Amino acid sequence: MDFDLMVEVTPLLIRAAWVTIDISSRAIFFGFFVACGLVFLQTFRFAPIRWFARGYISVIRGTPYFVQLLLVFYGGPSLGLRLDPITCGVVVGAFNIGAYMSEAIRGSIESVDKGQSEAARSLGFGKVQTMVSIVLPQAASLMIRSVGVLAIVLIKNSSLVSIISVVELTYQAQRLIGSTYKPLEIFTLSALMYIIIIYAVMGIIELAYRRATRYTTQ
Amino acid sequence: MEFDFTPVVTYFPTLLKGVGVGSLVAIAVALMSVIGGLVVAVISIYTKKLVSWPLRFFIWLFMTTPLLLQLYFLYFGLGEWILIPAIVVGILGLGFHYMAYNADIFIATIKSVSDGQYEASRSLGFGHWNTILYIIVPQAFIRSIPQLGNNMILMVKDTSVLSAIGVAELVYASQYAISVSFRPFEFFIVIALMYYVINILMELGQAWLERQTAYRR
Repeated sequence: MDFDLMVEVTPLLIRAAWVTIDISSRAIFFGFFVACGLVFLQTFRFAPIRWFARGYISVIRGTPYFVQLLLVFYGGPSLGLRLDPITCGVVVGAFNIGAYMSEAIRGSIESVDKGQSEAARSLGFGKVQTMVSIVLPQAASLMIRSVGVLAIVLIKNSSLVSIISVVELTYQAQRLIGSTYKPLEIFTLSALMYIIIIYAVMGIIELAYRRATRYTTQ
Repeated sequence: MEFDFTPVVTYFPTLLKGVGVGSLVAIAVALMSVIGGLVVAVISIYTKKLVSWPLRFFIWLFMTTPLLLQLYFLYFGLGEWILIPAIVVGILGLGFHYMAYNADIFIATIKSVSDGQYEASRSLGFGHWNTILYIIVPQAFIRSIPQLGNNMILMVKDTSVLSAIGVAELVYASQYAISVSFRPFEFFIVIALMYYVINILMELGQAWLERQTAYRR
């Protein structure tokens, strides 16, 4: 192990790690809205709208994230869609995780016993009020865990953005391995950074989970 | 904005060759990751901490870092000592990655097999390792099939990432055709469609396999 080299490249990798955090957090943030939109579309009476949402989710989950990224980045310009690499990473990440997240959200809402919303409705709660104050708080515990897992998957998948030349953690690591010929040192450092990021996210998920379940007795 | 799919038709044999290489890689990785995952799981449950802890550390390491980073490390790291073809690095990298995920599943399902099974088998005269091999592992394997199927579907999608280290699978095979024809959109749409079809076929296969084994669970 060459520790001098490790000290030397740490600032570079930390800067690259910030790009990873930046892209992932923005993709997760926008992805949440995509997911809510997809869940909402699936509640429509008009069947073609539901089919559109189901079809979208199926196609996104059935094709590789990597191919989606290449399609939008290299194929987008022929549709008049020119995105710079970072925006492209955020947009594709958001639309990708949105599909997975909508399934997680729908699953957790459906896991709440139907009697709960029926009881609320018969007690005079409105449809929206039933959803917001009866169903969602009970769905929250499951939802936080499953959405959290998806967020961690997205952080790991954000490494693929390096292919469209965004200087994030994996790209920087690959470049440093190429210029220093010290794969073990660089890999150790960059793996450590991914692990720190992922454990930080896991900590946030755990806090959110505790807060969501503070009134429930288990 | 008009689409021209003639280059895709012209280069379709190249794409099919890419599908062939990708399938070969996927089959090799599936065998390696399922068998390897099972071995790793059994060893890390039933041996001394000196052996099992390093194994668990590697499972954890492979699960917490991105696939692409592992591939770069293997590709450039191994490349320092020996010259091996990209496809071997690809199979090893993807294989180790999914071996860790499968081992994680096997550890959970092996532990879910009731202790009574072990005790009953021992009292009927099976040895320790024979019990594990003939009684515990088959039951655990059947229970793992749904999650293994999910992992294998994810793995097939991840073969596309191997193009980054130069494995001649579908995405890589299209690179030359795209650079000649300047039609990235058409090519990537067709590639996405091919992956989608493969994915649907795999989902059908998984559902069939689960139906076939349901009564044993």
